[in-house]
Amino acid sequence: MTAGTTRKNGILNKSAVPALAAACLTLAPFGAAPVKAQSGEPITIGFISELSGPYSFFGTACRQGLEFAEKKIAAEGGALHRPLNFKIMDDQTNPAQAVAAARSLDVQDNVLALTGPTSSDIALAIYGYAEQNKVPFVVPVAAFAQLTKPGTKYTFRVEPDAVGWGYAAAKFIAASKPGAKLALMYSDNALARAITAGIKYQAPKENVSIVADILFPQGSNDATVQAAQVVATKPDFVYLATVGAFDVTTTNQLLDLGVKPEQIIHNVGQTTTLLGYGPRSIGSNYGTFFDANLDNVTPEGRKFIDDFVQQVGRIPSYSENYCYNTAYIIKAAIEKAGAADRAKFRDAMSSLNMVEPTSGVPISFDQNGARKEYMYYMQVTGMQPKSYTAKKQFYIEWAPETLPVYDLVK
Amino acid sequence: MTTSAILLIAISVITTGLVLGVIFSLVAAGVTIVYGSIWLPNAANGQFFLTAALICWSFATWLAVPIWVAALLTLAVSLPISYLLEATLIRRFYDVPDRNIAYFVVTLGVTQILSGIFSVTYGRWSDQFNLPPMIGGVTFIGPFPMTNNRIFVLAAATVLLALLFAMLRFHPYGRALRAVFQNREAAALRGVNVRAIYRLSFALGMLSIFAGGILYGMAYSFDLTVAWTMAVTAFAIMIVGGPGSVLGAVVVGMVFGFTQAGVSIFTNPTLATFSYLAAMLVILLIKPSGLFSR
Repeated sequence: MTAGTTRKNGILNKSAVPALAAACLTLAPFGAAPVKAQSGEPITIGFISELSGPYSFFGTACRQGLEFAEKKIAAEGGALHRPLNFKIMDDQTNPAQAVAAARSLDVQDNVLALTGPTSSDIALAIYGYAEQNKVPFVVPVAAFAQLTKPGTKYTFRVEPDAVGWGYAAAKFIAASKPGAKLALMYSDNALARAITAGIKYQAPKENVSIVADILFPQGSNDATVQAAQVVATKPDFVYLATVGAFDVTTTNQLLDLGVKPEQIIHNVGQTTTLLGYGPRSIGSNYGTFFDANLDNVTPEGRKFIDDFVQQVGRIPSYSENYCYNTAYIIKAAIEKAGAADRAKFRDAMSSLNMVEPTSGVPISFDQNGARKEYMYYMQVTGMQPKSYTAKKQFYIEWAPETLPVYDLVK
Repeated sequence: MTTSAILLIAISVITTGLVLGVIFSLVAAGVTIVYGSIWLPNAANGQFFLTAALICWSFATWLAVPIWVAALLTLAVSLPISYLLEATLIRRFYDVPDRNIAYFVVTLGVTQILSGIFSVTYGRWSDQFNLPPMIGGVTFIGPFPMTNNRIFVLAAATVLLALLFAMLRFHPYGRALRAVFQNREAAALRGVNVRAIYRLSFALGMLSIFAGGILYGMAYSFDLTVAWTMAVTAFAIMIVGGPGSVLGAVVVGMVFGFTQAGVSIFTNPTLATFSYLAAMLVILLIKPSGLFSR
């Protein structure tokens, strides 16, 4: 279902209109947010995400984050006093389907820009279309560095690149224990390979030695043997770049074998996965870019978290936060451009200088569309059935050109 | 590396091989029973495996019933599902020539439908699912701490396999089922109700796949992709073991489990995935009909 069709299908019969008007008038004095005046044609952005298929959890969560922002932006008067609409399409976690959706949104709907994917594979497929057809493309949640390789003109990556995650991890480990011994366990996918490339590049510079390097094929379901191998190397830390169910399995198998939670570092913290680790994981560490437990969450960020909890039943992860902020990034670029024009929008994105509404973290992009990088490391301090508490352990930021990212990941 | 570390790794290989092996065997036995009697190559076995794990998760999470109750309820649910599928879909092809091809296509369709349903339901609720443990705590086997929950899974799967064997060997229905495996015309002439045996074998096969799914969910976290992994693994085991041979499914299932655990320790987990598929190709080159085929 798209935002557009929701409105189209929401036909009101004549008898309902007076009742609705009466209800609005009755409720208005009780704090309903005033909707600022909007006029003119809506500005439409194409939102292509994984609403079915293996990544449906992430695509659906991203859409939820975006829709919170969409409603809020509408209440604030839209962009350039025009309604800002997101036309939502499902890519079925299929790159070919994503390209077909991009073409349809470009040619049929003439959208100003594209956004939405949460999978690097899907984002890379849309990237090819966007660059070739000069359609601005704002990637909310996909960390593969090649999305902003040198020469990129129309793509902007909101999430820091995955090689940088590894760089940040090496820095965090070195700061936690100088001369630390590190075991790497990671899945065979683009994201994990990029992260570990960053760790392997930076670890020697930080005097961190890698004592185990274990790659799991996609579809792995057990890590008992590898956990035993890791334990045998007596590492100070184990860095896990595995995802979802396998991440939970691996974590529990390490804990079963006596690895302390404090020794475990997860590449990134997704709420559902963190809750899946269970109370035994209290003390473990994870990387993130936004967290409900951070002190720098703004009042708007706090409201976003509260509304999300109320509607979805769990606290949002960094990925939903990025999808929320992406709507505001697009709004800011439209207003900076002064018109709903693709070329002007692209130029506005290139020179954008704003902060994330939810956290105050600065947002700007380099000449290739890469964002100034940053990362938090958090430690889990408590676990409840639907939420967790954590405290900030480490924060780092760096310029994209600090690392030879495009040499490390081809 | 110290002796203790070597022992730790060696015992982890053995226990992992056993746990994976019995689960693989249980699922492959279910697949091969159905193929052996009805000639139904069940391409949807992975999705049924996942269905069981998800139903059990739903009972345990939403109804908040104890995990053992959730497991028994899930096994019970497999029976009406089997009956419905058999009555509405499977039965229609019993008299179709070359029905194994028709069945394969039909079950591929079921796979796509179930995959789509799970994707827009469970796939939106979470990226991974965990069943609560049946038993807490760990037991040390030498230096290796094995969770009691996995010991339970190992024991339960072994008992279920033993019951399956006993049923096939000693129960009149089991003997009739084996007669149909070997020669359905001769079995019919001896008074065996072949169609009733078809229904029984389908229900028994589904029960076995469901049991595998529940036990897998107890031993490991799982996501929706586990269905595809298990579908390929169960088919590979059935083909190598010999289609229709429950003994073949059990032996090869255990071999696959140990291969996955063993090769990954001496080389790496990626090679382990290829190793058992490569072993499958080699075995099929030597004995194309499978190791235990008659």
